[in-house]
Amino acid sequence: MSHPAVELDGIWKRFPGVIANAGASLTVRPGTVHAVLGENGAGKTTLMNCLAGVYRPDEGAVRVHGVEQRFSAPADAIAAGIGMVHQEFRLVDTFTVAENVVLGAAPRVVSQRAIAGEVADLAQRFGFEADPARPVWQLSMGERQRVEILKALWRNAQVLILDEPTAVLTPQEAVEFGNVLRRMVEDGRAVIFISHKLDEVTSFCDEATVLRWGETVAAGVAIADVDVTELAALMVGEVEAAPSPDRMTEPGDVAMSVKDLTVDDARGLVAVDDVSLEVRAGEIVGIAGVAGNGQRALTDAIAGLESPRTGAISVMGIDVSDAPPQKRFAAGLAYVPEDRLGVGLAPKLPVAENAVMRAYRTLRRGPLLSWRAAREYSEQIVERFEVKVGRMDLPLASLSGGNLQRLLLGRELTSGPDVIVASQPTRGLDVAGVRAIQRLLLEQRDGGTAVLMVSEDLDELLSLADRILVMVEGRIVGEFDAHSATRTEIGEAMMGAPS
Amino acid sequence: MILADITISEAAAIGLVIATIQFATLLYLAALGETIAERAGVLNLGVEGMMAVGAVTGYIAGAVSGSPWIGLLVGALGGALLASIHAFVAVGLGADQVVSGLALTILGLGLADYIGADYTGDSRRAWFADVDIPVLTDIPWVGETIFAATPVTYLAALLGVSTWFVLNRTAIGLGIRAAGESASTADAAGHSVARIRAGAVVVGGAFAGMSGAYLTNTLVGTSWSQGVTAGRGWIAVALVIFGAWRPGRVALGALLFGFTLALQLRLSGFGIDFSPILMSMAPFLMTIIVLIFISYRARNKPSPAPAAIGIPYRREER
Amino acid sequence: MKKLVLVRRETPTRGGQPAAFVAGFILALGLGAILLLISGDPVWEVYTRMFERSLGSKDVMSATLNRATPLALAGLAVSIAATMGLWNIGAEGQILFGATAATFVGRIGEDWSGPVLIIAMLLGGAIGGALWAAGPGLVRAELGVSEIITTLMLNEVALRLIRYLQNGRWKDPEGLLFPVIEPRPVQSGLGTIWERAHLGVVIAFAVVAAFAWFAKHSVWGYELKIAGASPKTAAYAGISMRRKVLGVMVLSGAVAGLAGGIELTGTATRLDVNISSGFGFAGIIVAALALMRPSGVAVVALLFGAVQVGGISIQSIGVSSAVSGVLQALILFGAIGAGVLSSYRVQAVERKVVAT
Repeated sequence: MSHPAVELDGIWKRFPGVIANAGASLTVRPGTVHAVLGENGAGKTTLMNCLAGVYRPDEGAVRVHGVEQRFSAPADAIAAGIGMVHQEFRLVDTFTVAENVVLGAAPRVVSQRAIAGEVADLAQRFGFEADPARPVWQLSMGERQRVEILKALWRNAQVLILDEPTAVLTPQEAVEFGNVLRRMVEDGRAVIFISHKLDEVTSFCDEATVLRWGETVAAGVAIADVDVTELAALMVGEVEAAPSPDRMTEPGDVAMSVKDLTVDDARGLVAVDDVSLEVRAGEIVGIAGVAGNGQRALTDAIAGLESPRTGAISVMGIDVSDAPPQKRFAAGLAYVPEDRLGVGLAPKLPVAENAVMRAYRTLRRGPLLSWRAAREYSEQIVERFEVKVGRMDLPLASLSGGNLQRLLLGRELTSGPDVIVASQPTRGLDVAGVRAIQRLLLEQRDGGTAVLMVSEDLDELLSLADRILVMVEGRIVGEFDAHSATRTEIGEAMMGAPS
Repeated sequence: MILADITISEAAAIGLVIATIQFATLLYLAALGETIAERAGVLNLGVEGMMAVGAVTGYIAGAVSGSPWIGLLVGALGGALLASIHAFVAVGLGADQVVSGLALTILGLGLADYIGADYTGDSRRAWFADVDIPVLTDIPWVGETIFAATPVTYLAALLGVSTWFVLNRTAIGLGIRAAGESASTADAAGHSVARIRAGAVVVGGAFAGMSGAYLTNTLVGTSWSQGVTAGRGWIAVALVIFGAWRPGRVALGALLFGFTLALQLRLSGFGIDFSPILMSMAPFLMTIIVLIFISYRARNKPSPAPAAIGIPYRREER
Repeated sequence: MKKLVLVRRETPTRGGQPAAFVAGFILALGLGAILLLISGDPVWEVYTRMFERSLGSKDVMSATLNRATPLALAGLAVSIAATMGLWNIGAEGQILFGATAATFVGRIGEDWSGPVLIIAMLLGGAIGGALWAAGPGLVRAELGVSEIITTLMLNEVALRLIRYLQNGRWKDPEGLLFPVIEPRPVQSGLGTIWERAHLGVVIAFAVVAAFAWFAKHSVWGYELKIAGASPKTAAYAGISMRRKVLGVMVLSGAVAGLAGGIELTGTATRLDVNISSGFGFAGIIVAALALMRPSGVAVVALLFGAVQVGGISIQSIGVSSAVSGVLQALILFGAIGAGVLSSYRVQAVERKVVAT
């Protein structure tokens, strides 16, 4: 026990246009759960990828159990006893659970029955439930996460890195997950727990390291002797005050209504199950729930990207149930999709092409499109919504997350919509970006726009929304007044408990 | 009505079965190689070119040495060497697999014609004799057909079983399939995607080259002529899809496609009034139909097509 | 222990693609020379002859223009599909079926006057090509069936269809040695405009230019760009992917089919399986070298036309014309290699792993 399990010393990692790590350091003792805290963009994941052999650090040393290592591939890190569970799971959908677990560390000759047996034993040892013969594509997100952890345990990882593991769990499942973590460190393993949720860190972890702007601002502080608010301050630095949700106006008439909506997913399973809801002018309605409970299908169906099996949607009294997306937009429905770069924007194209995506039909002259008009139009959006763009003719991909979201929101708001459906509008942004987007949404509410907002961040919903609907397995299972509801109440509803 | 006056002698029927097995062997070798490459996530549309290079190098080596085995070996090397260009460009440099593969076909056909120009009409030859298996070859009918093939047929069958075993029952096979389904997963699990994919492409090229060498050392009267592959490489590409990327089903498909090739040469002999040329379209049309069927079914469950096929993989992307 | 890896450059080298193209060309000539040397062919004589017989005089330059015509149209067909992320590997089949359809029109309009018949045949070619691509477009749009495979398969079907007609319905009763298709009506020949260059050259390059302009300045072109850059974003913006996919494949096929019609009326006297000497496949390489840009397609097609015409000419000094195919493929491989090196650099990294 003389050496730390992991020592990262002065790690630098640069990407074109970005410095992700600027001399970050981390020391993790064996037998502990160590939190790596930091805002989005603080360089947590990059630092861990350097430890897991995914990236090569430009400078700095990696020591595992006191031995200096230079990994050029994940295989090297695995050989040195490091296992990482990425945020996007690295699983082969068509493989069985057992095949996924042994992949890369399989016996030379693979017998399905033998590996299934061994994987079942391993799962049992750590108190997991897992059917080794099931193909992964049939599993829920939580089950897939367990497969990922089993993968690392199968290789007898002594250091286990978990990148925001609780994002796919309900608050209660997360508590249970904490117990599993404790069991894993009992026999001397070290667990590195990447998070930006302070409450989890204080309940599961022994020590914490805080990153900001790619640097270590607090190293290995013991959770037991630190003040949580102090950690929070270290994480975000100078914090802009949260916008005050105090309202100027009262909610008006129903602006959007959804009736008996049922949507099937690509595999024919029910994603949205008989949902009805109404949003009034000048009101923010929040949808809470663990990721993957049908939120995406719900908002996509409202925006016309997904055709529902049954149900009716109307915007400002107009039935748009069968209308294509552009007709719904014309009827006053703006949509900020969850997947900004995959759905809301085309990152390979420049600003103007993205900015006129909603309005180009009005800028056309016969079959031709006036690019001068299009450029002027996009410059207006850029100016009014303070989007920081370098050159207008470069692909969007060069913009930061916050600016991308401003451009997207600006495009949606510039025509003065009556209803905004915003899915995870602040996810992945830094604090300044989060505040700016929140302020924009509150401004819209005060201007009499109806807002339907999906978020996984319960605190955000509690502070912005008027009403909160909880979604579990495609159903709305509870409705809460955001001004009087508590986290625990809503958390219980998110688990599917009767409210 | 088409089948009104069919008269098939026993000799003709035996001939048909033998030819079916020969064509099936030819197609299977090439398709098996392509199956390996595609299961690893690399589409190689250079099969026709690799086959042509295998055909010409295999012919020359066989004719010069007098040994068809040397021909087969050199053909495999020729195919593998050409395939290594695809491995370098499409896997190593991450270029588009479609473009690189088609360029490989153009290069291979060009090289084969260029190398073979001096050997067109050459009278030297080496050919595989039929294997005489005691007892089995003496069985009436079966012995004269199935157990009278050249050693290459048995080799192809052996390679088919081995490929199945490697893909489904070994750690390497797990890595190959993972590279074809999700390269980043295979990488994260510690497999070198580049090495797996490049290896699969080169082995696939060796199989296609062997197929070409078999063509010129047995099938077409043991000689080289320009255009000898005659689009059979494309049939092999079709066969991989027809067999849903599985060595066993590809073998069944090879027998079926081989049968259509063998039959189309014999239609008039059998008194069947159907155009052999129309019949030669069958493998391609059947493949389109199978592909449509696969896509239709893929709405409810994962498609048998390797999910990562055609997508270059490079790790440090951000 | 050191290991070589590719690292993305912070900024790609300036003028990357034209430079890569030139580098590819030089590399191809170098590798080609090595190949010629190995087989004992006269390198210098081969290359000078290829140059003289493709660009050395007005007469051969006009032949190069004729040869570049189907290459430019096939390249355009491929790049039209590629703007939407689709691979039309079937230009070869669409050229063949286009020429077949043009022949069909020619048989109907045997007695029509020249200009009317020519226009009808060219239109027939375009419609034929469009039809040949419509099937793959339809199943791609409706069921997501890979257009790469379907278009590829249909190449072989189109080839066999011509062989079928050659031996049956359209067999020329006067063809004595081996079966051929009846010649097209004499008045359907495209007139020449400069030396040996026929009117089809102008038509082809006008089509390329028209598409380039329209794609840039039309609503349709804008929608295509979004659909190509991100299909989900296109759906979000209310652009119907199904209709776009089908439309683009049909247009792509029509352009390739037009090449078939032009070949039939411009350089051939009758339909046969060699009416496309691999133009559809070469067109894919042309489009790839041009990075799928129509303007680039025109330039690369001219170069490939010259290589092909030059390649045919070396047969008379006893060197196989196959050299031309080898050179075309090597140019592409060389350009890809150079292109990658212009945006990546090779770096040696240290590797040290101690298993614990």
